[in-house]
Amino acid sequence: MDRNWVVLGVSLMLWGLLFFWILRVERRVRDVEKR
Amino acid sequence: MSNGTSSSMATVWAILRKECRSEWRTRYGLNAAVLFAVTSLTAVTFAAGRMPDQPEMLSALLWITLLFAALSSMSHAFVREMESRTLLMLRLVASPTQIAVGKLLFNLLFLCVVEAITVPLFMVLTGAPPLRLPQFLTILGLGTLSLAASSTLVGAVIAQTRSRGALFAAVSLPLLLPVLASGVSGTRAQWDGMPIAADARLLAAYAVALFGVSLLLYDHLWED
Amino acid sequence: MLWRWLIFVWIAATMVVALLSAPLVPVLQETTRVLYFHIPSAWVTVLALGWSMINSMLYLIRRDLRNDDHAAAAAELGFVFCVVATVTGSIWAKSMWGSWWNWDPRETSIFFVLLIYGAYLALRASIEGEEKRARLSAIYSILAFVAVPPLMFVVPRIYSTLHPDPIINGSGKIDMDPMIRWCFFSMLLGFTFLYTWLQSLRVRVSRLERRLAT
Repeated sequence: MDRNWVVLGVSLMLWGLLFFWILRVERRVRDVEKR
Repeated sequence: MSNGTSSSMATVWAILRKECRSEWRTRYGLNAAVLFAVTSLTAVTFAAGRMPDQPEMLSALLWITLLFAALSSMSHAFVREMESRTLLMLRLVASPTQIAVGKLLFNLLFLCVVEAITVPLFMVLTGAPPLRLPQFLTILGLGTLSLAASSTLVGAVIAQTRSRGALFAAVSLPLLLPVLASGVSGTRAQWDGMPIAADARLLAAYAVALFGVSLLLYDHLWED
Repeated sequence: MLWRWLIFVWIAATMVVALLSAPLVPVLQETTRVLYFHIPSAWVTVLALGWSMINSMLYLIRRDLRNDDHAAAAAELGFVFCVVATVTGSIWAKSMWGSWWNWDPRETSIFFVLLIYGAYLALRASIEGEEKRARLSAIYSILAFVAVPPLMFVVPRIYSTLHPDPIINGSGKIDMDPMIRWCFFSMLLGFTFLYTWLQSLRVRVSRLERRLAT
């Protein structure tokens, strides 16, 4: 059970970071597209 | 239709003869290839020693030597053409496919000559056990077909890039790894007395697939 | 905007359910968890590469640079997902059989794929001129995809491998506990949507690069 929580925590964190990074990239792309 | 095909064949044959003749005139390519093969062979066998009882090592070393000999000698085929600007002339008289098939046949012949020297030398230097010729030659032949097909197309692509030599090996190698895997496995099998059918089938299918796909792609090689 | 958050929630939720509630596959025990990441990554790798090849073919037929954008983007993303698949596979190997890398046929196949697409990217980097680059890399991409089916599907069948038998066995039945099956397909779907998003984003970047260059 312990192991599961660690793996879950790490994956969720990584996924969260990745997701927000993608959002940032998309925002910058949109900015450049508008110009 | 038959007239078209036979003139196609004639063009291919003419290109093949032209390649052979221009190669034979200077023999730079052939000399370099044989020299490279013999040198790397010597280095390999010197380092590894005689291995009469280790077919798996022998297969691996043999195919690596052949692979590198092929990679070093095949890259020049189209580069020479580009550098001497004769490609334009060729394209006036022949279709891209005909040129490429002619060169492919030449490369095949070239590889056979290099192998005819390298393989017996390898067997002697490493003290390899006797070969079961039909099986061995099948595996070797099918592998060579893939080597030639891949090298011809990749060579043509690479000749148009900036980096040339190093890139040729890097780009060819992944395409040839299945050949290496099956070739080593098949060669080892024939020494172990096992059937080579699975490896031979894979090699044959791969060679056919490579050859077939490249025939479709040659037309797109040269646009300007 | 909403669908992006849907992707986030979907994958996050699948992770939670898969890691907390789903049982372990008997053969795999503790290592079961990796399959939720490893197989979807491998699936996306093949998906991306297939999309790249289709677009390469379309480029050669139509000469539309937008196809080249897609082909290049798909190859880059395929490469990334392939790295993920290889690394998760290696982690799996370490926990199951004790060593990070064995040159097991399946491992070798995925590594080959990595090399092929590495070569594609190196090739693109060395060609000047948009049309030339598009054309030559399209040729290579199509050629490379010829190598992929034998590597990914034929080689593991012919040579005996330690890799767990594809859970979709010969008769086509999917032999998994239902909970595992749900989580697994859910993750597969999630990864696919993630890839689609990334692909469209990457293509937009390419188009911007082209627009800014002219």
